[in-house]
Amino acid sequence: MNITNKDAHVDHISQQFNAELDDILTQLMTMGGLVEQQLKDAMAALKEGDSALVQTAIKADQEVNGMEMHMDEQCTRIIARRQPAASDLRLIIAISKAVSDLERMGDEICGIATNAGKLIEEGAVDESYTQMRHISDLVATMVRDALTAFARYDADLAYEVAKRDNEVDKEYKFAMRALITQMMEDPRTIAQSMHTIWILRSLERVGDHAQNVAEHLFYLVKGVNVSHSSVEQMHATLDMDT
Amino acid sequence: MRASTMDTERKANFSLAPNASQGLTMAQERIAVAVNELDLYYGDKRALNSINMQIARNRVTAFIGPSGCGKSTLLRCFNRMNDLVDACRIDGEITLDEDNIYNKGVDVAELRRRVGMVFQKPNPFPKSIYENVAYGLRIQGIKKKRLLDETVEWALKSAALWDEVKDRLHESALGMSGGQQQRLVIARTIAVKPEILLLDEPASALDPISTLKIEELIHELKKDFTIVIVTHNMQQAARVSDYTAFMYMGDLIEFGATDQLFTNPVQKQTEDYITGRYG
Amino acid sequence: MMRIGVKQWFASGSPWIWLNGAAVAISVIMVVGLLALIAVRGLGHFWPAAVLQAEVSVSGQLTAIIGSVADEEVVSADQLRDSGVILAAGQDSAKRLLIKAGNRDVTGADFVWVLEQDLRDITYPEDIITLERREWGNFYGRVVAVKEAGSVIAQRDSQTDTAIWRLLLQRVERSLAIYDDIYEIEKGAIGQINYGMERLRLRQRGLELKGQLTPVAQAELDAERDLLNQRYEGLQQQLVDLYTAFERDSMIGETMSGQQLEINLSKIVRAFRANAMTGPQKVSFYASKLWEFVSAEPREANTEGGVFPAIFGTVMMVLLMSVMVTPFGVVAAVYLREYARQGPITRIIRIAVNNLAGVPSIVYGVFGLGFFIYFLGGNIDQLFFPEAAPAPTFGTPGLLWASLTLALLTVPVVIVATEEGLSRIPRAVREGSLALGATKAETLWRVVLPMASPAMMTGVILAVARAAGEVAPLMLVGVVKLAPSLPLDGNYPYLHLDQKFMHLGFHIYDVGFQSPNVEAARPLVYATALLLVLVIALLNLSAVAIRNRLREKYKALES
Repeated sequence: MNITNKDAHVDHISQQFNAELDDILTQLMTMGGLVEQQLKDAMAALKEGDSALVQTAIKADQEVNGMEMHMDEQCTRIIARRQPAASDLRLIIAISKAVSDLERMGDEICGIATNAGKLIEEGAVDESYTQMRHISDLVATMVRDALTAFARYDADLAYEVAKRDNEVDKEYKFAMRALITQMMEDPRTIAQSMHTIWILRSLERVGDHAQNVAEHLFYLVKGVNVSHSSVEQMHATLDMDT
Repeated sequence: MRASTMDTERKANFSLAPNASQGLTMAQERIAVAVNELDLYYGDKRALNSINMQIARNRVTAFIGPSGCGKSTLLRCFNRMNDLVDACRIDGEITLDEDNIYNKGVDVAELRRRVGMVFQKPNPFPKSIYENVAYGLRIQGIKKKRLLDETVEWALKSAALWDEVKDRLHESALGMSGGQQQRLVIARTIAVKPEILLLDEPASALDPISTLKIEELIHELKKDFTIVIVTHNMQQAARVSDYTAFMYMGDLIEFGATDQLFTNPVQKQTEDYITGRYG
Repeated sequence: MMRIGVKQWFASGSPWIWLNGAAVAISVIMVVGLLALIAVRGLGHFWPAAVLQAEVSVSGQLTAIIGSVADEEVVSADQLRDSGVILAAGQDSAKRLLIKAGNRDVTGADFVWVLEQDLRDITYPEDIITLERREWGNFYGRVVAVKEAGSVIAQRDSQTDTAIWRLLLQRVERSLAIYDDIYEIEKGAIGQINYGMERLRLRQRGLELKGQLTPVAQAELDAERDLLNQRYEGLQQQLVDLYTAFERDSMIGETMSGQQLEINLSKIVRAFRANAMTGPQKVSFYASKLWEFVSAEPREANTEGGVFPAIFGTVMMVLLMSVMVTPFGVVAAVYLREYARQGPITRIIRIAVNNLAGVPSIVYGVFGLGFFIYFLGGNIDQLFFPEAAPAPTFGTPGLLWASLTLALLTVPVVIVATEEGLSRIPRAVREGSLALGATKAETLWRVVLPMASPAMMTGVILAVARAAGEVAPLMLVGVVKLAPSLPLDGNYPYLHLDQKFMHLGFHIYDVGFQSPNVEAARPLVYATALLLVLVIALLNLSAVAIRNRLREKYKALES
């Protein structure tokens, strides 16, 4: 059945279990916040040509990795000790999967920061940034909304996130086409454009992971696995249950 | 999810039923027992309220629910064990092969041969292992030694007990361990070749390893028998059953494929019970 | 301080432990004391007591006395003076001996009281003999001569005492052997013939009553009767010969007062010289006396001989009672517990059954007499034994009615115990059987009753314990002082349910209070009481053994 209450995970008879679930959800939010900040830093580095921020973003990835390990362990422990069922089971599975998606986001952002560092060295930051500003804003919103949806058990918001991925894909294709045109017109920009392409691709991947996180949340709330299904079908599920 | 991974075939396969992967739906089953509008009263107290359900043939159906929810009472309706209770009255019907077992003139002893039952605590008779298994056959008047021997061996083998007891068939059954006793009781029950096997918390008095053996046995027996099991242990129900019924206060709250019931139940009461929120 | 100490002591529970310990100790002491008392008093009787010879001087007059000390007591001087005994002034008390002097045919009494201080010259001569006789009690004295067919073959003047004694023993043995033969013919063969004659008479009477006594039948009966008569004649001839041989020998004995007495050896049961016996001889004598006590028939109005018929009757009656009470009690309990609707009526029945156990046993005796014997027995006689009329067959006290009365007396115990056992059978086991397609009756028969059998045995044990000790109702419904034959013998139909029988409990009463010779009988009362306790203990122990075996079988389910 659907989860309708955002405190649904803390009304078990076992207070200990409640505390464990609450704790792991809080950690997920913390980890999400870290990734969000990392993305913000990487994009800010690009925007302002600040190589210090590049280092901050790269370093943050280690912390994200550490959190992923820690939370994986906790999920395993909860499964082993509590044998969660129904919504609890879905919560643990969703968190476990979301953690892994967040970690992948961290890796991608790390890549973005590295490429941003190279662009800063080449002094081509401004041009690149304008090319990807729009997509970066979109992805940042997706990440934020996916985490918000998780915090509120908000399937509608998750649906919005999933829907927005299509826009990101569209923007990505559009930016790629522009960059390829640019490289053909002016071969001197190829090296710089390659960095930009890498960043764009990473941003697109971050968007995909954000969508995955939203889908896990959707599974958690609705009990329906919507990975690999269309946004329309997600919408249908939303309508059906609410 | 990326747009590129979507294709039309997957869309076609997508079903709103969450248990689509297992493909267990009642519509495809052969029905062994059907319960129609069953009410049960103990004196003035109503213990079961308008139960409607179907038990699928060669499947394991589990009844779960808090104590006193009526799951054992319902189980005992299937072989009319409730007849033994004074002041117990039943309305509605339970059909076994199209016949209402509560019709007048039904031979209860015959019914119980067709619907065997295993109880919570192992209850072997104070006789030898062999005589325990042969009991039901002797009741039926079977005296041929060869037939008895064969059936006893078959039943003990089916209950995965033969290797453990074949050298001491004529020793008292009371010398066995609890888990062995329970499997002996199962052997005793299947020796009369019932169609349906009712298990009333068969492992609640056993240690975890014996419990697993019983569960494994249930899985094996499913090939030959229709099994209905009452259990307090939700994980056990999840492990052994194909269908699960959740009961509460004499009502059948939810009945469906076990896979669905334990991942995404429809009713809030079910959800609360299986996730430990009940109470 | 002190008050708190006492309080704590009470709170610690040790006073109660002490109290319990004391209660148990008192019980044990009482049981052991009781057994010891009856054992010492009863078993001492069979020991060959030394026979003393002495002079008794009463008021200066001397009389000789021979006998064994049976009892002694200290009596106050005043009491003695009141009864006319002259004692020295200043004497407070005197020891008085009860001496068994025997020779009742001479003196008129077996026992004499003698003051110890009056005895002079106490000796224990080895040549004093004791003869146990079939009548007149013991003889104490000396052998003067042994006679064969009236002529003396050994005499004190011509032979040594030992030689005469040996000869006498030989002759006594011979006469005892002949006695066994006579007994066998009289009780065995002739008894059988008499029984056969009686049956013929009843058959003839039966035919007569039915009007079927045709000449042919009459001839047949006569032929059979002739056959029996012929056999009887033969036996009678044998008996005459045996009796002649039996009464051939006699002896002349000399009593303490020097009086000579001729005693036919056929009257002697046992002859011994207590003072000449060695230790092992005494032990073997003791064993043979004890064996006689438990295996022989009583003599001399139950004051001598054994109590075998009483033991046999007791055991027989208890066994019969058990055989009757068990099925009846079990069936009643099964109905009450398993079939009857539990409600006010069953509750009333249960209360009634429990109260039945509290009804005084003599009431059962009266009921047995009125209902079983006069009503049932009378009707049975009319219906089935008209040929025996007017002599009653079952219309008179007998083994069957006694057993039945006791069965009625003990049936509440069996019902209660069985019900208790049935209620303890786990419901799971019954359901297990029912779930296999067994009917209620099959479940009961194959599972429940076997499992309840230890409880039934408990009921039977309690019933046996109660029944074996009952005397009062038995006096009304079948026990007699002396039964002519055992209720189980070799004559068809072997078990004679209509016969009267002897019973240890009644035997005690009879010997102790109805005997003409109270002094002689007193040790027998104790010995019989001990025997009764032993018999009951034995019956109980065997029932307990059976129960324990059953319990072992169904042990795991008791928990």
